[in-house]
Amino acid sequence: MLFNIALKNLLGARLRTILNVFVTAFSFFIILFFLGMYDGMLQHAKNVTIDTEIAGGAYWHPEYDPLDPMSYEDAHSNLPDDIQALIDKKKAFPVLVSQVSIYPGGRIMPAILKGIPPDQNIVNMPTEALQGINDGTIPVLIGKGMAKDSKLKVGDSFTIRWMDSDKTYDADEGTVVYIMDTENFKLDMGHIWVPLNIAQSMLEMKEEATYVTYAKGLTDNINSKQWISRDVNYLVQDMEAIIEADKPGAQIMYMILLALAAMGIFNAQVLSIFRRGKEIGTLMALGMTRSRVVGLFTLEGGLNAVLATMMMIILFGPILWYFGVEGIPLPIDYSEMGLIMAKRLIPIYSIGLIISTMSLVSIIVLIVSYIPSRKITHMKPTDALRGKAIA
Amino acid sequence: MDNTVVSIANLSKQFPVGGGFFTALKDVNLTLNEGGFIGLVGPSGSGKTTLLNVIGGLDSPTKGSVHVLGHSMDNTSHNERASLRRKHMGFIFQSYNLLPVYTVFENVELPLILNNVDPNEREKLVSEAIESVGLSHRRDAKPTTLSGGECQRTAIARAIVHQPSLILADEPTANLDAENSHHIMNILVELNKNLTSSFVFATHDEKIMGYLKRMVYLEDGKIVKDETIK
Repeated sequence: MLFNIALKNLLGARLRTILNVFVTAFSFFIILFFLGMYDGMLQHAKNVTIDTEIAGGAYWHPEYDPLDPMSYEDAHSNLPDDIQALIDKKKAFPVLVSQVSIYPGGRIMPAILKGIPPDQNIVNMPTEALQGINDGTIPVLIGKGMAKDSKLKVGDSFTIRWMDSDKTYDADEGTVVYIMDTENFKLDMGHIWVPLNIAQSMLEMKEEATYVTYAKGLTDNINSKQWISRDVNYLVQDMEAIIEADKPGAQIMYMILLALAAMGIFNAQVLSIFRRGKEIGTLMALGMTRSRVVGLFTLEGGLNAVLATMMMIILFGPILWYFGVEGIPLPIDYSEMGLIMAKRLIPIYSIGLIISTMSLVSIIVLIVSYIPSRKITHMKPTDALRGKAIA
Repeated sequence: MDNTVVSIANLSKQFPVGGGFFTALKDVNLTLNEGGFIGLVGPSGSGKTTLLNVIGGLDSPTKGSVHVLGHSMDNTSHNERASLRRKHMGFIFQSYNLLPVYTVFENVELPLILNNVDPNEREKLVSEAIESVGLSHRRDAKPTTLSGGECQRTAIARAIVHQPSLILADEPTANLDAENSHHIMNILVELNKNLTSSFVFATHDEKIMGYLKRMVYLEDGKIVKDETIK
């Protein structure tokens, strides 16, 4: 019974209902859009990192700490047999890491040199560009960001200076053979990539490596005591942390939007109780109990949320769908800011996100509908009939 | 058989005003019988609306006892009084108090919805009530499109649709012109003849006094004259 009356009241109030429902629907839309964008950003960054860098995971030399370049000096050794066996079966590839200095255009720049097998096809990197170059210089692969910072172009040569395993400094000429366009700044900024065998020869570290990256879906049971296994979850955690660090901003936006929607509905309910005092009195005179009147007004608020959901689907659903398929072009290259960001950001609206957002908004709508409606229980029918609402 | 509908003894009603109290009703004693067509008559501020509200259970007495349709109104809860109004009373207000978003039909239907009457039965009863006030042709109209007389006829239909024992009308003709006032009163007289309901009016409109069977005069909260019209 209350449901029919509430629905009739809502539909009958037309413009007031449309405005309330629109505000709530718009909040639904913005919240879903923003959170979808963050989820999309996170998912895209994860996908890019896995595709270009992590693959199925890695085994690290025990001394290796990617965040501490000083550790690179000691983070190398021959590979344990079972890991070597993976490499032989082309299920993994080794990488040798060292700190170097480069001198593009006569300037000095610190860089991280990484030796990688040019024929690897486990991660999506154009390492094949390093193959077959034999002009007496070291073939070097760099990213667009690094090329921009160092003002290097394909064919440019520059001096590379390194310290080998005997703690002896040495230098040689490197030539840029390819500039890769990657969304993963970790492969780009401050990195120079050379063929593994050349790196091993430069550093006097024959057959040695710093870490080994293995293919996705690897089922071989490696039980290496010396080298540390790092799975995908571990390897993406720093990148997740970057995205997470940005999330409070989104959450503040989320809370503001939610508060706006809640205030809109709260206002509408308070106004309703003031404006509809006579109606409340009439309903009481006709025999509706106070608790039922409270129930009616709360239900009207709740139905507001339901109608908002429907309006969101009809009005904003196509927009969400469009962005979900086409993505949103980003005008800035975020990789220079140290973020893995697609050129076109595709929001992801998971079922969990949709359900949790709608549930949260609906609960808040119900609460803000109930709080002002509760005042009706203190209302005298005679005052209400005179249109005198309580403060 | 006792045909008393309302029985009031030594009723007083006070309202807090500023630091003190305003006495709206003083030692009122009154008995209303079944089928009555009674007017509570008096100038503004004489206490007639307050008396009507106390009878309708919309307000509580400060002192004295009030029995309506066999129920004591002195110590009943809000919910019990609401139930009594819902099942056994009908209200007609000076400013009609129709719900603006409902049609004539829906406004009249409301008491039946509140009483959980079956939809088919509702349709029949509402149609009869609307017909009895001559509004069948406006059943789908919204109150904003109705004249004052039509609004009040809708309010009457809403008050009688669930066939209550007691119908309370507060200044039902105050907002109407003479022609509409007489029309409304003729409808109410007719309904009083056909139904077993008792009608109690609070009024100071002289135009309608000729229709009343009994007039209870109030002045400053006291009954000063109780006159039965032959």
